[in-house]
Amino acid sequence: MDRLSALSRRVSRWGLWFGGALVLLAAIVIGIDVLMRKFLAASIGGADELAGYALAIGTAWGLGAALLDRAHIRIDSLYVHFAPALRIALDLAGLALFLAFFGLVAWHGIGVAGQSWTAGSRSQSALETPIVVPQVVWLAGLAVFLASGILLFAQALAAALAGRAGEAVRLAGTRSAEEEVEEEIRDLQERAAREAGR
Amino acid sequence: MIWVTLAILIGLLALAVPVAATLGVLGLALAEIYARLPLSLAMGEIAWATSNNFLLVAIPFFVLLGEILLRSGMAERMYGALVLWMPWLPGGLMHSNVAACAMFAATSGSSVATAATIGTVAMSEIEKRGYSERLFLGTIAAGGTLGILIPPSINMIVYGVLTETSIPKLYLAGIIPGLVLAGMFSLTVLLFCLWRPEWGGTRTVATWDARVKALPDLVPPLVIFLAVIGSIYAGWATATESAALGVLAALGVAASRRRLTLRALLQAFEGTMRTTAMIMAILVAAYFLNFVITSIGLTTQVNRFITSLGLSPTELLVAVIAFYVVLGMFMETLSMMVATVPIIAPIMFQAGYDPIWFGILVILLMETAMITPPVGINLYVVQGLRKRGRIDDVIIGTLPFVATLVLMMVVLAVFPDIALVLPRAAAN
Repeated sequence: MDRLSALSRRVSRWGLWFGGALVLLAAIVIGIDVLMRKFLAASIGGADELAGYALAIGTAWGLGAALLDRAHIRIDSLYVHFAPALRIALDLAGLALFLAFFGLVAWHGIGVAGQSWTAGSRSQSALETPIVVPQVVWLAGLAVFLASGILLFAQALAAALAGRAGEAVRLAGTRSAEEEVEEEIRDLQERAAREAGR
Repeated sequence: MIWVTLAILIGLLALAVPVAATLGVLGLALAEIYARLPLSLAMGEIAWATSNNFLLVAIPFFVLLGEILLRSGMAERMYGALVLWMPWLPGGLMHSNVAACAMFAATSGSSVATAATIGTVAMSEIEKRGYSERLFLGTIAAGGTLGILIPPSINMIVYGVLTETSIPKLYLAGIIPGLVLAGMFSLTVLLFCLWRPEWGGTRTVATWDARVKALPDLVPPLVIFLAVIGSIYAGWATATESAALGVLAALGVAASRRRLTLRALLQAFEGTMRTTAMIMAILVAAYFLNFVITSIGLTTQVNRFITSLGLSPTELLVAVIAFYVVLGMFMETLSMMVATVPIIAPIMFQAGYDPIWFGILVILLMETAMITPPVGINLYVVQGLRKRGRIDDVIIGTLPFVATLVLMMVVLAVFPDIALVLPRAAAN
């Protein structure tokens, strides 16, 4: 279980790097395209289409890390006043609903990709991309996200049932605003320390 | 239908179900109860179409731009220069805070990033110069909200996409209100420091020599602003393309400061994609919900209900402002926009309000939401940077600026041209 969860965290981190690299690449290609259009009266063509795929794929591959880092927004105005046991129950319920919704999205997404495959759909641009290709990479991201989400749910549930409330909260609870800010500050301070050292 | 929808929406949100799941599950529930056709079959198509929408690509671009700038050291130098140039007014550095926020806002699409960046740099100055701590903190929390009013702005992109309004025009419309609001924030500080001179701290003196030497530190923010906003109005780039140019400019700034390491880049990737995935999850669910709401005729029902109230346009406007101010105390701004704008905006347009103008009003309301307790993200950011005392200090110090924001909405309502004059001039 521990090894699985370490793997899922590592994969989610790679997902962030992968998506980030795609987005940076998209920005560079689009930037070059704009400058070429302006100064060389030429265009790469289809840069916008590729950037769209980068967003879809990057999002799907980033969902898992956002979930593990508890970055998905929850309104906790009332929640913080509830009893701890109720809070953990709500954490699990919220997580289950989140996974259920995106599970359905992925399920219907398979249908969409299947259709692109059988119809041999290509994008209506100069690139004529077979649409099924980016769709499959997108779906793979969603699948990895669902797998790590289900693992997270199982771990949090097990922790809750075994009475390890603290662990369950760390896995699936809300990040209090303070906690979130603390992390950001630690980041900034690390940076300041590094700078002082150079 | 309206009340069932509201009950499910409020119920799930109050139970701290993630916003994306709330909107998605609400869509599924409404489809199940009211639709004659199985609307959920469209989920895959909607999710894919939303995920690769080229307009939304601007969102990761702006987050990435911010993440790169954060690691470039640009903000520290910019603040240092503004400190030398601004402190002659009563209130001293507090005006530098507002100015630094306004200037940083011109490179950033996010209010949290603006408050966090300027706050980190400014925080050490409070004690050194004997300022009223509360008011000083207030200038950062409130000044930071300028991030989404002065273009570029992630919230304007979301508004533009949700209401099919031109994003470049929204950007133009935000410039004058952004400057006016920054001026009014400064005026608020000035009035308080004239009333209570001891709040204004000791003034610093800077030589002209030092001032002139610091000027080059103001160049990088200007370069990024010109790359993003200039390229749109020169007709070179669309809103998304200009964001890509902004990323390139930010890479340039970071590289020129020798801060562009692989480590920094990977950290920037992590921050960018986590935020992007979070925003996109909400947008995907919201698009599905909007599809369901339109299909089952809920939008028409809400419209009929509002019409049956027989409100005049002015009464409607006051009601909408009150609604957002109250909701903004409890809700995070992006979720609030995504959940409400698709329903409220068409009603306002029908009542004769200009989509661009209403967009700027919504942005002002979102700014207010960021600094009204109990849930005001900028209040938390500033308190977190400060690391001591109670958050009440930040809340009290920010209250005068909430009043300033409300006053700004009145100004915008009485003089709609401050938002509309630039987009109109560009159209001719």
